[in-house]
Amino acid sequence: MFYRPMLLVAAALSIGGALEAQTAKIDFERQIRPILSENCFQCHGPDADGRQANLRLDQRETAFAARPHGAPLVAGNSAGSLLYKRITEPNAALRMPPAYSRRSLTPDQIALLKRWIDEGAIWKEHWSFQPPVEPKLPSVTNPAWRSPIDRLLLANLEAKGLAPAAAADSRTLIRRLALTLTGLPPKPSEVEAFLADTAPGSYERMVDRYLASPHYGEQRAHYWLDAVRYADTNGIHFDNYREIWPYRDWVISAFNRNESYKQFSIDQIAGDLLPNPTLDQQIATGFQRNGVTTNEAGIIEDEYAEIYAKDRADTFGSVFLGLTVGCATCHDHKFDPILQKDFYALGAFFRNTPQRIMDGNTSDQPPFVVVPREQDRARWAQIQTRETALAKELSHARDAAAEPFSSWRSEQVEPPTPIDPKDIIYTADLNTLSMSGADLKIDEAPVGGDRALFFTKSGGASDPKPPKPDSEKPFSIAVSFLSPKGGNYNIAAQQNSKEKNRGWVLDASNHLASFRLIGDGGDSIEIRAALDEIRPATWNYIVATYDGSRAQSGLELYLNGQAIATQGRNNANTKLNGGISVDDPLTLGKSLADGAIADFRMADRVITKSEAQLWGDGELARFLLHDYAPYKALAAEQEKLDHDAREILLHAATTPVMQERTDQKPFAYTLYRGAYDQRRERVDAATPSALPPMPASLPRNRLGLAQWLFSNGQPLTARVAVNRMWQEIFGIGLVRTADDFGSQGEPPVNQKLLDWLAVDFERSGWDVKRFYRQILLSAAYRQSAATTPEKLKLDPENRLISRGPRFRMDAEMLRDYVLASSGMLAPQVGGPSVKPYQPDGVWEAVAMLGSNTRFYKQDAGSGLYRRSLYSLWKRAAPPASLEILNAPTRESCTIRRERTDTPLQALVTMNDVQFVEAARTLAGSSMENSLAFSARLAYLSSHILMRPLALPEQAIARKAYDDFEHYYAAHPDDAHKLLDFGERKGDPGLPASQYAALTMLANQMFNLDEALNQ
Amino acid sequence: MNDKRRLLLPDEDGHYSSESLAMDRALRRALPQGSHPIDSLAREIAERETRRRFFSRAARGIGALALGSLAAENSRAASAEQKAIGGLPGLPNFAPKAKRCLYFHLVGAPPQMETFDYKPKMADMFDKDLPESIRNGQRLTTMTSGQTRFPIAPSVFKFQQYGKSGAWVSDLLPYTARMVDDIAIVRSMHTDAINHEPALTFFQTGQMVAGRPCMGAWLSYGLGSMNQSLPTFVVLQANHKNPKANVQAISARMWSAGFLGGQYAGVTLRSTGDAVLFLNNPDGVPSEMRRRMLDSLAQMNQLEYAKLGDPETRTRIAQYEMAFRMQSSAPELTDLSKEPDSTFTAYGEDSRTPGSFAQSCLMARRLAERGVRFVQVYHRGWDVHGDLPEVLASQCKEVDQSMYALVQDLKQRGMLDDTLVILAGEFGRTIYCQGKLTQTNYGRDHHPRCFSLWMAGGGIKGGVVHGETDEFSYNITQDPVHVRDFQATILHLFGIDHERFSYQYQGLDVRLTGVEKADVVKQILT
Repeated sequence: MFYRPMLLVAAALSIGGALEAQTAKIDFERQIRPILSENCFQCHGPDADGRQANLRLDQRETAFAARPHGAPLVAGNSAGSLLYKRITEPNAALRMPPAYSRRSLTPDQIALLKRWIDEGAIWKEHWSFQPPVEPKLPSVTNPAWRSPIDRLLLANLEAKGLAPAAAADSRTLIRRLALTLTGLPPKPSEVEAFLADTAPGSYERMVDRYLASPHYGEQRAHYWLDAVRYADTNGIHFDNYREIWPYRDWVISAFNRNESYKQFSIDQIAGDLLPNPTLDQQIATGFQRNGVTTNEAGIIEDEYAEIYAKDRADTFGSVFLGLTVGCATCHDHKFDPILQKDFYALGAFFRNTPQRIMDGNTSDQPPFVVVPREQDRARWAQIQTRETALAKELSHARDAAAEPFSSWRSEQVEPPTPIDPKDIIYTADLNTLSMSGADLKIDEAPVGGDRALFFTKSGGASDPKPPKPDSEKPFSIAVSFLSPKGGNYNIAAQQNSKEKNRGWVLDASNHLASFRLIGDGGDSIEIRAALDEIRPATWNYIVATYDGSRAQSGLELYLNGQAIATQGRNNANTKLNGGISVDDPLTLGKSLADGAIADFRMADRVITKSEAQLWGDGELARFLLHDYAPYKALAAEQEKLDHDAREILLHAATTPVMQERTDQKPFAYTLYRGAYDQRRERVDAATPSALPPMPASLPRNRLGLAQWLFSNGQPLTARVAVNRMWQEIFGIGLVRTADDFGSQGEPPVNQKLLDWLAVDFERSGWDVKRFYRQILLSAAYRQSAATTPEKLKLDPENRLISRGPRFRMDAEMLRDYVLASSGMLAPQVGGPSVKPYQPDGVWEAVAMLGSNTRFYKQDAGSGLYRRSLYSLWKRAAPPASLEILNAPTRESCTIRRERTDTPLQALVTMNDVQFVEAARTLAGSSMENSLAFSARLAYLSSHILMRPLALPEQAIARKAYDDFEHYYAAHPDDAHKLLDFGERKGDPGLPASQYAALTMLANQMFNLDEALNQ
Repeated sequence: MNDKRRLLLPDEDGHYSSESLAMDRALRRALPQGSHPIDSLAREIAERETRRRFFSRAARGIGALALGSLAAENSRAASAEQKAIGGLPGLPNFAPKAKRCLYFHLVGAPPQMETFDYKPKMADMFDKDLPESIRNGQRLTTMTSGQTRFPIAPSVFKFQQYGKSGAWVSDLLPYTARMVDDIAIVRSMHTDAINHEPALTFFQTGQMVAGRPCMGAWLSYGLGSMNQSLPTFVVLQANHKNPKANVQAISARMWSAGFLGGQYAGVTLRSTGDAVLFLNNPDGVPSEMRRRMLDSLAQMNQLEYAKLGDPETRTRIAQYEMAFRMQSSAPELTDLSKEPDSTFTAYGEDSRTPGSFAQSCLMARRLAERGVRFVQVYHRGWDVHGDLPEVLASQCKEVDQSMYALVQDLKQRGMLDDTLVILAGEFGRTIYCQGKLTQTNYGRDHHPRCFSLWMAGGGIKGGVVHGETDEFSYNITQDPVHVRDFQATILHLFGIDHERFSYQYQGLDVRLTGVEKADVVKQILT
């Protein structure tokens, strides 16, 4: 029975010595609550359903309250405390915790509880639920450690008898600083400039320089993207491309602009609900659109509605509150005062959205915004404004036309259309079509003549000799149809099933209309539109147009005069390849059981918006568009606007955003055991009950939630944020469990420091750059990383910062490091995701056949050399080398990355073409730079390690190089193979054996532990 | 205190001292039903120490150890001598029957009524409606919930009885039929999920939403590795052949280690390109150059260690050596040229084709021989919503002979006794037709209420048919086996009590089998 105490001692040591002094008063928070939480709260904690004997031990009132046989806790009197009696009960059947709980108390724990009760049972609420209070700064002896951060750290070190490490040398320091702030190594010239700057304040100036670098925002963003589970695909099933990179650009820019943490957070949680939100503020709400979505046929939507809401609540909880709210999905939280009801009430904020559950497998899932290029934004805004006004003017003009129209007579032959008859190249002759399962009925059609084809069962009609539209030319179709009650049906199509369905198709499935052009090889462009407006058994007319541009933005769909395309129209990345012209028949109404088709026409130009709007209006349309000048002028303007909009869309992106439903207030149902079909109580959106209440002045929506985070007395918001930033700098947070500040998380290793940072951060107006600057200026950060056996024993993980930070770089940083050191890095900030090197077959091995992220087509040129945060992130298969280096899949919020050390990682940094190419490029530069080996070695070293090599290192390197060179001189084929490896070939003018040998040496140096660590 | 602490930790070979194990046993005796109350922080320390000690041994050997020969030696190690490195103290809880597992998952879910669940009465019910009393409010996927009728589609494939056990097997699986006395067929599997992604994730991790560790990761974490040059948990993705087959996605979440840590995740062994991602040196860098570079690298890293004293530096040196060993042993693993022709005859000529299911079977055997603990093979194309007769026949043909060969091969090598072999899909399929029903063509939708799988070796009793379903193969009538029971059974075969094998995460003791009751299926055990 002495196994467990030993473990606890080991554990305590690692978190900074809770047991340092047996004589000190027992600390409830550190020593007692963990025991109670671990052993008692499961049955006597916050979870009301699981609670036994109606006894609650996680709250002071109930823990001290009298019960029939006494109070669980009587201060100062362990013998009189029921709790103590039951844990020391001789009868095993009555002893707590019961055997079935599989928990047990050790003698040491029991002794600790006894001492604590006898010392007065001082009870404090869980530390993280108390607002941080600025601590008094301790006095310390070391004059170099004067800043508040240093003093708060040093006090703990001195209490342990540990002395700080010496200051790091300047080269180490600039490298560390550049990596912390920009994620990139400093250039040798920057190192030399820093060394040469002997004036006071040189370090501060360097900090400011790196804070001002555009790469600062990129480095901050790579952490944030983990937290918000950013990726470029939907995640489930097809795992198709999702266009959301404008959100990533926004994150980078927000950091670079030094947006306050408060604004940064509010924009992401509720930017759309701010008064007159800017485009940026809408883009920021992509934070909540980064979740995994599905379009798997057969899913039950209610189930996924719950999954999406939980993902948002979990992410919000982890990122902003540091709480595992998801633990209350099925029941009240077992350890923290989060009720099941709290979880659903929190989730309610995020589910009051018009977003569809089925993502449609498209890149632009509504609601989204169009993000035009910078130079197009003004015109885009103009167009939007003018369009709204124009719609009204058109409507007025139409009203005003009533009178002149009554005196106007058309000489048109029947049926009249809004466009010139000569532009109509085809009108389906319903009398001569070949039919199966269709009946021709007379006097049934609503518009355009008197005939309609009714489809009594699964069937259709076809014409073997229709016109053949092709990709390069515009065309439009217009057709009336009577909709059945739902299901999947073709309205019209002309396709070759033997040639991957080349051709075009207008169809409807699951209440979505789709207009799709399929080119050679199956590449297609497609737009979709919701058909929610269609009532069963009514006539509708639909107009589909294509402008010949091969772009998705060149497609449009109108239903009963309204432009309805909701998905696909704005994806600039998808282009139609090859021709669509086929010899196959035109088919109408295939599978349109219980529906009908009438008046099918085709035009050889784009039917304009005005024409489409009036398509159903027969003679009136002719009059307005051709003979009524006021309307005609407005229609011409509309056409111009439409044309300009399409031009802008050709180069624009889209990004999904949050929108609030206006027809209802946010609410949710609690679910029995979290099951989607077990609805219980209806709850309104609300913040967790254990935290300070939402001020009455705040709206009960996401905006209110965001503002609540920054309202007075919040205990968690600032602490969680500063801890996360601390983690970025030192590799591990003051609270190790950066995503869990609850009672099962680890208490802070230095709460005074954490609280000081939190209070200071808030007081500074949530100034992020200032926060980093302050820490980077501390003596603690500037220490050498050298450790001692004593420190390894007393501070093994450097939680006390008894030395400078040293830990392996993140995946992105490792790759960026070699790209930057070798000079290959493409410095462009922002933009769409890129596809750098990746071994063949990584995507294909996991993808669905129809997925548009099945084949990985590597970029050429600069796409291979961009910073890693721009690599296209497919959730089912993230960038292969990054994933091996512990980059997460981004399927859910990640606040703390793993940092393992595995042989597979060594294989990446030795063999991945990206790393080898960098080594060779750097080797080539060193050769161009000088002839002597020693100078070349110095060149490598200054670019990889930012320092000259010591003599013993030089000797080792020289010896290895000689062996490499010897080998490659004898094996020129191998030398050439190595020099030809990858897309960027070695300089053929350089002596091959030396070049190959230096490449090996550079590869070796990039793999040094020193190079892999930040 | 240091003395006590040492008791906790494995020695340099990764073994736990008898003293420490005795304490562990004493502790368990003292707690009648007690778990192993390892504090998570202490465990973290223990794990780190394990890693460090194990690898520091490797690190010492630089230059002195002939690593290449060690790898070769390791690969020849007879299965009986494969010992665990790492793993948790106290595990296994009791003597294991299985040391390793070869698990073949048929992604998309094969229909049970065309393979093992013989339903003769259905022959007379062609195109008749499935009685409402049988369907009984069953939730349907939205693919067929809109159907107005649920017409019964009897299997077009014939069944016969085989072996001493007289198990019914369809004509699609003639080889499997020959070995029914080697395998246990479970016809009464059921699951909670109705769609592929969640069902697969549930099968692998015990939860429908991604994020939990999968079975292979749990076993790697709990039991450690049995070799020093290959991963503990290997994943293979076998190609399917029929272009008409409906293919479902798989993803790394199915072989993820969740909160256990990436070192326990499955490593994909690929059939094209590098066998393990980035395994091969760049063109023009032969093994001896890599060796030379690593020696030089280690020397420079030693200087770094001397300067800063960070123990992680030594771990890194050791991992580079491990990487080199993997480079040395993987080619031997994937080189099939030394396999006699009789091997390919037995596994089928397909087994000469890289990436085929048959070659995956052969590769699984080779991995098992080399001390890989858990091999997970995924074969896609089983989602027979339509064209079932044609597609299923070709899918079955791909797996039938090679699975038979694998079991016989393991038996011959004396490895079947401690190697668990599993063939399963993630759920079953409906007796009623999806889409158009004709006498010769039909499709079937997803069906979570019953399905069949088989297991063999590693403590599984051969010649057993477990569980029964009603005459429609719609509901289980006897001995239901939930996915949790299946998971509990696998852990049991590895000597692990599934209720005691947990990991503390977010304050909860998380188990593979979750919080609900799960039972070991004793009837199929030897």
